Amino acid sequence: MSTTHSHAPLKESPLTEFEVLELAVRELAIEKGLFSADDHRRFAEWAESRTYTVGSRMVARSWLDPAFKERLLRDGTETSKEVGVDWLQPTGQGTPSDYTYFYVLENTPKLHNVIVCTLCSCYPRPVLGMSPDWYRTPNYRRRMVRWPRQVLAEFGLHLPPDVEVRVHDSNQKSRFMVMPMRPEGTEGWSEDQLAAIVTRDCLIGVALPRADVTASQVPKQPKGRNGGNKR
Amino acid sequence: MASTPTQYDSFQRQAANLTPADRLPLDSPYEISNELYGLLRKVLHDLGGQPDTPVPFTEKGEEDWEMNTYLTCECLGWRGVWNSEERRRRENDLGATQYFGLPYYARWITTAAKALVDRGLITTDELGRKMDEVRARLEGQRS
Amino acid sequence: MTTTPTPRFQVGDQVTVRDATTMFHTRTQGYVRGHTGTVTEHRPAWIVPEDEAFGIIENGRYTPFYVVRFKQTDLWPDYTGFEVDTLETECSELWLEPAGKEKK
Repeated sequence: MSTTHSHAPLKESPLTEFEVLELAVRELAIEKGLFSADDHRRFAEWAESRTYTVGSRMVARSWLDPAFKERLLRDGTETSKEVGVDWLQPTGQGTPSDYTYFYVLENTPKLHNVIVCTLCSCYPRPVLGMSPDWYRTPNYRRRMVRWPRQVLAEFGLHLPPDVEVRVHDSNQKSRFMVMPMRPEGTEGWSEDQLAAIVTRDCLIGVALPRADVTASQVPKQPKGRNGGNKR
Repeated sequence: MASTPTQYDSFQRQAANLTPADRLPLDSPYEISNELYGLLRKVLHDLGGQPDTPVPFTEKGEEDWEMNTYLTCECLGWRGVWNSEERRRRENDLGATQYFGLPYYARWITTAAKALVDRGLITTDELGRKMDEVRARLEGQRS
Repeated sequence: MTTTPTPRFQVGDQVTVRDATTMFHTRTQGYVRGHTGTVTEHRPAWIVPEDEAFGIIENGRYTPFYVVRFKQTDLWPDYTGFEVDTLETECSELWLEPAGKEKK
């Protein structure tokens, strides 16, 4: 993920028409002065440094520090700064697609939150990085609002009848992250240890943290599902 | 627009049936029912509640062109050429075949190109020539 | 656009999403239209997406936004989860009426 901006090194992968179109649009935009190559580079540096581990850190710190948790739930955007995320970056006005309103949704013994965007794929990139491919599929968008318990079960998450499943259809300017409950078996753990079990899927609400599953055990995203369009 | 849950359910089932994988035969019919017009004019992205079968939720990292598409579209927003809601509207305006047929970020970059043309910032022939030039250059680099 | 409009609805109010014909882009989902829910939070005012999507920013309608919570069993005819399950989404004031005003 480190060489995604301009002047990528020569590589063997087949050339796709999407790659051709993107580069053509970018070069024309730069030639016309619509934005600069430096803008693109700066945005790339910011985007490539986004990772859900910031979200994991916020949850772990909330489990250990009730005052931090209170601040995070009250004002997610402002409190993000305490873990190094400024929602106004990289442009000074936030990102065009995700803007600057961030809310953290707290799970309780009687409430489980899960996030979907049925209309597009709104996702809190500044704190979770780029969205997973499945989150963007029409399939997830179609089904999560109406059959949440079935879809959660497909992710391996089965919730009892007395737990309210609350689906958040992220359809306007707000961006959301789930704060799961601290699991049993983590007594006395450090913030780093706790952060390691808060996976990306926990922060979307399709998984729950477990003391025996760390993010490093979750399979890494392979690059490219099918290589884009084949020529 | 259907009003009761049952009517809406029926509506969404039919809307889902319009996707390329499983579609109604439509060949510029001389006349269509109001019901079908309601389905056809429904904004495409509003698909919450359409029945679909379980599929594996696959993991996949961004390819270079996908990340670059995100960056190019965001830079156009940053510098005031368009806004992200316009991009989403333009994705709907692609029509069902392209909306459902294109990969996620291919929808983005296609709409970006169209937005620049619509604004008179580039011409279609300029875009075509640039694509040919870029393709030849990249092919040359990789051969 | 510079002044923050006063919200018409308060947290706890019952609101019904207008069931209006839409020809083009909107971010109010079909599955909530005509349904009644409860306002649970205010959101910052913004230009309604129906204007923003067409590049109408300067003269765009700037309205309060609300989080509205619905019961899932109200939204879907054959909801297979449980009575306790809910769904939250956000609506601009343009789309909301006091509950009971709009006849189903």
